[in-house]
Amino acid sequence: MIFSSITFLYYFLPCVIVLYFAVPKKLKNTALLISSLVFYAWGEPKYVMLMALSIICGYVLGLLIERFQGRKLSKAFMIMSVAISLSFLLFFKYCNFFIENFNAVMGISLPLLEITLPVGISFYTFQIISYTVDVYRKNAKAQRNIIDLAAYISLFPQLIAGPIVRYTDIEMQLRVRTHTIEKISSGIRLFVIGLSKKILLANSLGELCEYYQNSQEQSILFCWIYAIAYSLQVYFDFSGYSDMAIGLGRILGFDFCANFNYPFISKSISEFWRRWHISLGSWFRDYVYIPLGGNRTSKIKHLRNIFIVWLLTGLWHGAAWNFIIWGLYFAVFLVAEKFLFKNFLKNHEIISRVYVTLTVLISFVIFSFTNIKDAGECILGMFGFNGNPIITPEHNYYIRSFGFTLLIAVIGAIPILPNIYKALSKTKFGSKALAVFELFEPIALAILLLLCTSYLVDGSFNPFLYFRF
Amino acid sequence: MGGKIKNILIVAVMSVIIFGISLLCILKEQGDYSKSERRYLAHFPKADASTILNGSFMSDYEAYAADQFPCREMFRGTKAFSELYLFRKLSSNNLFLSDGHISKIDYPLNEKSLYNASNKLMSIYENYLEGTDVNIYLSIIPDKSCFLAGDNEIISIDFEELKEKFCAKVSFAEYIDIYDLLSKDDYYKTDTHWKQECILPIAERLADKMGAELYNEFEMHEISHPFYGVYYGQLGLYHEPDTIKYLENDILRQSIVTSYSTGKPQKSVLYNMEKADGKDPYEMFLSGSEPLITIENPNAETEKELVIFRDSFGSSIAPLMISGYSKITLVDLRYMHSSIICEFIDFNEQDILFLYSTMILNNSFSFK
Repeated sequence: MIFSSITFLYYFLPCVIVLYFAVPKKLKNTALLISSLVFYAWGEPKYVMLMALSIICGYVLGLLIERFQGRKLSKAFMIMSVAISLSFLLFFKYCNFFIENFNAVMGISLPLLEITLPVGISFYTFQIISYTVDVYRKNAKAQRNIIDLAAYISLFPQLIAGPIVRYTDIEMQLRVRTHTIEKISSGIRLFVIGLSKKILLANSLGELCEYYQNSQEQSILFCWIYAIAYSLQVYFDFSGYSDMAIGLGRILGFDFCANFNYPFISKSISEFWRRWHISLGSWFRDYVYIPLGGNRTSKIKHLRNIFIVWLLTGLWHGAAWNFIIWGLYFAVFLVAEKFLFKNFLKNHEIISRVYVTLTVLISFVIFSFTNIKDAGECILGMFGFNGNPIITPEHNYYIRSFGFTLLIAVIGAIPILPNIYKALSKTKFGSKALAVFELFEPIALAILLLLCTSYLVDGSFNPFLYFRF
Repeated sequence: MGGKIKNILIVAVMSVIIFGISLLCILKEQGDYSKSERRYLAHFPKADASTILNGSFMSDYEAYAADQFPCREMFRGTKAFSELYLFRKLSSNNLFLSDGHISKIDYPLNEKSLYNASNKLMSIYENYLEGTDVNIYLSIIPDKSCFLAGDNEIISIDFEELKEKFCAKVSFAEYIDIYDLLSKDDYYKTDTHWKQECILPIAERLADKMGAELYNEFEMHEISHPFYGVYYGQLGLYHEPDTIKYLENDILRQSIVTSYSTGKPQKSVLYNMEKADGKDPYEMFLSGSEPLITIENPNAETEKELVIFRDSFGSSIAPLMISGYSKITLVDLRYMHSSIICEFIDFNEQDILFLYSTMILNNSFSFK
């Protein structure tokens, strides 16, 4: 089930809210677990058992790690836990990729496995690993209540598209959490904004991208528009989903960390990755980069660590070569920034912004095509190396038709409105005007929700990019 | 307003919407048919172990939830309004509004479809027409978007390009050009089809080129209730409806219409008033989708016969041409397999007219 569906909004969500707030405090996690299992089973009935098995492994091994704390066995159980979790991920997500490449290299044709990727496996696997590793590191106590641990791992708001919530972040909240009108209201606000980002912007931009991919002609301007539209689609799709997840979490009393912070205003690629999919970046930092030695090691090993992390980041996003190239592409820029032009970027704001925008746009072109040749053609097309015209009548039509949506998306992707709000609130007149403006917030949210509903009722284009991760 | 009151209001308003709509979803009676979209709505899916385990129950339920949503039409209209007026898109659901018309974007030119259509016509020529003394003609009906798109810089198929490519492939037929006789006003505003009362010059041009003479005095009648065409429902936005008018005279009243939809001859009518009240009122012309139908003219002063291979546009023009022929046979290859045509038609000395709209040629994979 996805949040941007009639079934979720008007069938599942009301039932969950009634159930959750009707049961006594000690049964709230049980109610959450049942809801999460129904939520997951709705989309992946056959893989519920796989998730249950992963949870049981994490639970038992977490207890054993703690039981043998300080002894070699503890480390062995931690390694076992990571190995089991990763083996599920490797099998379901990467097995066919390895077979395909093995076939290509050896010139043989081993049959591919007939398996589909279990939704959310990349997210819940990382959560289980973070839990057992944190227990091993004594950053968290092993959870004795399997219901609480299962509720954490399968928590439906963040189950299928993150953010990756660390056990240490919500350990306390699993036992005690507050439900206030302020928190519920801010959760609703975030949920509706996330839903609108997804349905009104990401889906519409996705339509534009699909026109590009189906177009029989190419033009320079349309290649650029595609790169911009696709980057913004991924941003609004994923940040919208994260907002919905965080919002739902707040309604249910949880506080999840933010996952995006206006990444497109970054002045370097390293800043971009501190603002984009924050929970994934910090996960790789804490569970891969630092254990490998991070930057407190020789230059060569430091470089190695960066490339390993970004190779894995690329692979995490998908079992295809374009994702690996995408990850390594960022590694190259991060290394260059670290060792070559860090200071230059700091002192040249305009150049740094142009550099980040260009680098990110090209990165998402690589990201969008599983066929490397198509990505190459688009990138060459952006710079006019394909001999394509600047614009064709067909592309002119699409650009005019989606121009306003693109403009709204660009404005929404940078903090121009929050900055105006902040500036206004500092003035006397502005603060009064804002107070009046805020009167309409409940109405504005209601209109947005109904508008999103109208798009869902009409069964319009509703892909979900992060489902494959 | 204090922050607390605002927060209470947000929670209250959103709860009313979510729980209210949820309740309406549960209480609403299931609908069977969407008149505006002209399709059957999804019903509550079958729930058993196999449908739940293979996931079909869930996917069918998603379709059911969207189809049976309360105030569905209003929400569909809201979406179209939002796309066209808030987000300023030039089209919604591939439909655009121009000069009071709703029109569909059918783009780009589908070469594979043109190839498929020309192959089908070629096989008919080779199997039935080659070596006989029939006269073969081809005419292509431009979609109304050809007249509406240009003014609004909307993309549309280049009619000349389509015509040239198709004619080159169907070189065994003489092409009769009717483009210059048509304008956007000759089409219904909410539908894809042309208006019968506007196409007399087309019928005369076709007949003239085929050597037939038509009697062109008609009385005009009007269907009393409004006509909401196929695009009206697809767009979902309110639009002024059309009126269906139809032409009649004594020749038409005395003509004998026979349908072969069951394989056996059955009496039928030129203008089916039951269909005029039905889900697609345009189907009143020759009763809509018919694989094979004949119109005989007992008062004909000629022995000439005409066979029209056609789509739905042919239903409204064929009655206007019967005065020039003793018999018109209409074949719709979307509903009749080409291999059985010989069981119903003996090709000998007739005029053969392939009359197709650009939309059908560009989406011809329904040809059998």
